[in-house]
Amino acid sequence: MIEAHGLTRKFGDFTAVADVSFALSEGEIVGILGPNGAGKTTTIRMITGFLPPSSGRVTLGGRDLFGGSPDAIAVRRDLGYLPESVALYPEMRVEEYLAYRARLEGLDRTSSRRRLGEVLERCLLADVRRQVIGTLSKGYRQRVGLAGAILHDPKVLILDEPTVGLDPKQIVAIRELIRELGEKHTLLLSTHILPEVELLCGRVLIFDRGRIVAEGSPDELRERLQGQVAVKVEFELPAEGMTEALERVAGVHTVRALGPDTGPSGRFALECAPGADPRPAIFRLAVERSWVLIELTSERASLEDVFVRLTTRDAEEPVPDQQAAGEAA
Amino acid sequence: MKGAMAVFGRELRAYFFSPLAYVILTFFVLVQGYYFALIVAFLSDPRAAPGRPLELFFGQTIFTWLVLIFAGTFLSMRLISEELRSGTIETLLTSPISETQVVLGKYFAALAFYLFLWAPTLAYVAIVRWFTPVDWGPIAASYLGVVGIGALFLAVGVFASATSKNQMVAAVVTFFCLMVLFSCGLLENIVNGEIAKKVLGQMNLWQHMDDFSKGIVDTRRLIYYASGVGFFLFLTSRALAAKKWR
Repeated sequence: MIEAHGLTRKFGDFTAVADVSFALSEGEIVGILGPNGAGKTTTIRMITGFLPPSSGRVTLGGRDLFGGSPDAIAVRRDLGYLPESVALYPEMRVEEYLAYRARLEGLDRTSSRRRLGEVLERCLLADVRRQVIGTLSKGYRQRVGLAGAILHDPKVLILDEPTVGLDPKQIVAIRELIRELGEKHTLLLSTHILPEVELLCGRVLIFDRGRIVAEGSPDELRERLQGQVAVKVEFELPAEGMTEALERVAGVHTVRALGPDTGPSGRFALECAPGADPRPAIFRLAVERSWVLIELTSERASLEDVFVRLTTRDAEEPVPDQQAAGEAA
Repeated sequence: MKGAMAVFGRELRAYFFSPLAYVILTFFVLVQGYYFALIVAFLSDPRAAPGRPLELFFGQTIFTWLVLIFAGTFLSMRLISEELRSGTIETLLTSPISETQVVLGKYFAALAFYLFLWAPTLAYVAIVRWFTPVDWGPIAASYLGVVGIGALFLAVGVFASATSKNQMVAAVVTFFCLMVLFSCGLLENIVNGEIAKKVLGQMNLWQHMDDFSKGIVDTRRLIYYASGVGFFLFLTSRALAAKKWR
């Protein structure tokens, strides 16, 4: 449906997004996940046709989104976009604003009126339709933005952090709405809230420092990390050869000593092969060597672990400030 | 052009909803009214040389220019910079309409409001007509001049507005450009080069307005305004497109 081919975007010397490619097939709900400054918004701005890429291209239904030709402009009709800032005109009334958006999208009067009614209903805005946007709460404004994005019934819907800054009740309402929309539209959702992705998306792209560092369904990603930080062992006292002995246990990939910097400790984190459970073997090992075992736990990796794992960087490395680059633009 | 119409409609409404527009409208009417009253009082004095009040109103004095330059600046400064600041530009430029349509919609909304500003001055024409027969030619020519020069000034303002997300910066840039545009014609009298004198003479807006107020319509001047408008609107749409590239 929508495809990004080798998207790269530079702001001066700073590369915000480097060689990002992905494709969304029809009806899919895909999440873009990443820490602040990972290039999520820049990528989204490129695939909505707002920000031209330094190199690479975007196609929607096989048609190019850039190039300035009348066709490139017409392609945008298939796209609904809710920007991160959800900027609206504060002096307009809700229905006035939506009617304006409908005219921009080129809807005729009858279909505009019909869609307006549907969308107001859908986004639970019917009771504020006559209200001035500037007086609405953040949650309502978010819904007005969303209503504007789906007004022309686009094939692809792109939402940049749709639940940011909302209270928990509003978040639930917006998520519910997004889930409903996902039944009819191809949907791309950017967020840094993990449960949101697990809840809504069939597939996740994890961004870090302008690249896609992992891709897959939430389950696949969890699976991939399942074998990693999986077992924690603690012995009462440290002893010679513990690390080596643990490394020899079947299914254990690596052994990392945890705990006090002051000296050796009896605490270890084991990364294990997917599906392997070395806990019985570790227990037997402890008995054999008469090491006193005080903790032996298996941790099922959450998507959070995957995320932290993939996007953690050394503290010394400067964090690229995408926001600042965006300001400069 | 449907997109341009949508932008035009929204922008024109936005004028009528913004307090700034009413402040401008109020001051415009106040200043023009006061100034018209002054002219009438002056001409009513037996010692004054005979003259036509409307000719004085449109030409020959600095007042018209103050009004034109301030109106040009204040009406245009918000147009695009506000969208850049608030971020609404993002939804606007991802809609299926071109930058040119955005620019045209906004420009013509500003022009329409500008015409609306001048509408109350028709009352002065009516007042003068009440007391004395008037020559309609010079009056029509004067309005043509006011509209032409205003159209040019607004185009400069729209362009400046597309260069910054700060309205004040846009206003200062516009004001400066309009001062240059206005005063470069006045340099006619202090240069000696024959060609320079001729070029500056053609651009002398003061002279243009003076002539309009006497009923002289020179089509070269109208073409000057029209091409200026075209040039600045083209630059604006390029500036808007370039915003995305940086």
